[in-house]
Amino acid sequence: MKKTPPALVLQRFGPLLGLVILCATLGVLSDHFLTFENLINVFRQSSVNALVALGQLVVIITAGIDLSVGSIMGLSCVLAAMMLKSGVPPAVALAGSLAIGAALGAVNGTLLTKLRLPHPFIPTLGMMNVARGLALVISGGFPISELPASFRFWGAGTVLWVPAPVIVVIFFCVIFHVFLTRTTVGRDIYAIGGNPQAARLSGVPLDARLILVYTLSGMMAGAAAIVLAGRMNSGFPLAGSGAELDAIAAVIIGGASFFGGVGTVGGTLVGALIMGVLRNGLNLLNVSASWQTVVIGVVIVGAVLVDVIRKRAAERG
Amino acid sequence: MSLLELRGITKAFGGFRVLEGVDFDVRPSEVHALAGENGAGKSTLMNIVSGVLPADSGTILWEGREVQIRTPRDAQNLGIAFVHQELALAPELTAAENIFLGRHPARRGWVRWGEIYSRAGELLRELGQDIDPRRKVIELSLAQRQLIEIARALAFHSRLIIMDEPTAPLGSKDAEGLFRTIGALRERGVSVIYISHRMREIYEVTDRVTVMRDGRRVFTKPTVETTTDELVRAMIGEELKARMTAEVTSCAAEPGEALRIDGEFDLVVHHGEVVGLAGLAGAGRTELLEWLFGAEGNSVRPIFVNGLPVKIRSPRDAIRHGMGLVPDDRKGKGLVLGASLTDNIALPGRRDRLFLRTADERRSAGELMGELRIRAVSLDQQLRYLSGGNQQKAVLAKWLSAGSTIFLLDEPTRGVDVRSKGEIYDIIRALCARGCAVLLASSELEELLALSDRIVVMHRGRIAGELTRADATEERILHLATGGSN
Repeated sequence: MKKTPPALVLQRFGPLLGLVILCATLGVLSDHFLTFENLINVFRQSSVNALVALGQLVVIITAGIDLSVGSIMGLSCVLAAMMLKSGVPPAVALAGSLAIGAALGAVNGTLLTKLRLPHPFIPTLGMMNVARGLALVISGGFPISELPASFRFWGAGTVLWVPAPVIVVIFFCVIFHVFLTRTTVGRDIYAIGGNPQAARLSGVPLDARLILVYTLSGMMAGAAAIVLAGRMNSGFPLAGSGAELDAIAAVIIGGASFFGGVGTVGGTLVGALIMGVLRNGLNLLNVSASWQTVVIGVVIVGAVLVDVIRKRAAERG
Repeated sequence: MSLLELRGITKAFGGFRVLEGVDFDVRPSEVHALAGENGAGKSTLMNIVSGVLPADSGTILWEGREVQIRTPRDAQNLGIAFVHQELALAPELTAAENIFLGRHPARRGWVRWGEIYSRAGELLRELGQDIDPRRKVIELSLAQRQLIEIARALAFHSRLIIMDEPTAPLGSKDAEGLFRTIGALRERGVSVIYISHRMREIYEVTDRVTVMRDGRRVFTKPTVETTTDELVRAMIGEELKARMTAEVTSCAAEPGEALRIDGEFDLVVHHGEVVGLAGLAGAGRTELLEWLFGAEGNSVRPIFVNGLPVKIRSPRDAIRHGMGLVPDDRKGKGLVLGASLTDNIALPGRRDRLFLRTADERRSAGELMGELRIRAVSLDQQLRYLSGGNQQKAVLAKWLSAGSTIFLLDEPTRGVDVRSKGEIYDIIRALCARGCAVLLASSELEELLALSDRIVVMHRGRIAGELTRADATEERILHLATGGSN
């Protein structure tokens, strides 16, 4: 093996290092933090964000952004609950939630590519409003509660001592990691983010890839909706409010770049965990929710700032 | 006394001398042509005058006083303006605001719009064209935008305006308008340095002409005392011409055509043949190659590949039919600079497969790296850290790894060091020895003459003529490229 330069090691494992330091610090400050139960709890609390962030990661690698995922969660959540209430089998409702998310994502991608909207901000901002509005209209603004146990399992159940949502996250992480690193389509997505012109002139079908990317992002919002509805035992129209911003934060903290071409599943998972650990740890330390928000804001900017400073140093040296 | 005088200007890039002791001067109210082939040093010299590049040695005199021009701002303050080929205007703002951009007439921070519009209108009228200063730049034609840039230079009280091939993107009627504007500038006492290699224009608008070749000044003369023939010979150089004819290599064309376009645009490339594509900037070489490659979407004109009619709707189709494009702009269109050498080389060959064959890709990239002598630290190195020559070889490697048989090369040695240039020539010759078809667009005549079996010359988007290797000379190519008949 050739030796990897230290700057590269830091770039690859920087977010993980941050997570480890954060956990160690919280372990010193609080007796409860480094218990197995608490750590599993953190993982469970981070699972919804991690799922949405996986979809967002794929979008951000193409130098795009998807603002609609939070609202898509809301709509998927409500529709899945309504399906269950009308007697549809849980497995079908589950598939339905994923399909609804994927379909709305495909609409985003189609608007962006086929109708040539100038920037992904526009179609996904539109979808953000449309999907949330529809969720409220369809549900009448009220949560639909009391879901069947076999559906609730995906949010609240455990296998041995591992929470089901954690298993769902690991499952999708493996799928997305293999997709992004081992398939030609996955590498096309990095090429598009790195230089869309060069990718197109190398035969990469830009439109098809971009539509796929937004479809995946929507589908992951649908997956997150299942976990959230299961945990809350209800489909509520405001589910996932602000989830898009948490997901973007996790992806960026995890080392991806808004300019595209860069980002990993591992980094994104770590990014989501950093946000979860911060919230959990600050809770244990009795820091108010309002101050937690301030801290998370600082961490987002700080993480990117460290990245930028390191890159500048690397370019000089 | 001269307005601007350069004495003994020297400039080197990484040990490669691009300017060697150049003397040059411009008189007040003079239109001075600067002629020479690409790479003769015209642009570098003008970049030094406009403060974009520092000279290594030599002095600059402005109205007889020695001055230092370290930044574009210094040049601006002296009264030197550069009207660039790619115009630098804000398209959504009005013509008037663009003219005064960055120096809005104002009183205590409040912009005086009335004054902006009236002064802009005056300037535009003086330049002999009637443009409403309230119109947005995006609504104006290319010729009108050029005029805005010139008006902008006047608003800066510029006394010397440098124009770099200003007629390249213009039609002949717009060009006439530009010549009238240049006349108006001369009457106002403004001097113009006019970079061009179109003979007709040099004779039509300029007072004196300076010819550069290989980083030196060949001569400066009053334009009326020169002949076209004399200028062309000065631009090319006698000894070079002798060397080029000796360097010709032959790789006999196999029977069977690889690529053909029919109709008004008649072009054939055979297997094992290099067809050169010559023409001035803006003649349409890049457009032709990108159109062949499907980069602009649906094609209407029929293309024949290996004798069969094919429809090329996208680069994917072109690649499927064995084509590979080495674009004119390797950073913008050819490579993913942030990705590794392997990823870049393997990209076009990845169609029609789902899972990566990492081991195969690495082996193939490794072989090509050795074969094409791509100097990189490893197969994982990001392309952005490679030199221009090695990046260009990586673009060629993409198509070799994809198994292309028809190579469309657009300026394959632009911005490449001398050693890599020789190596790229070897690669092109090896391609045609293997039976590949090569369509080679280049603005370096020397390159076309050294590599091509035939040379097709373009002029304003059309084929102006075709020359066989035996017939092709720099004079003949330039003659056709500037609109002369065969």
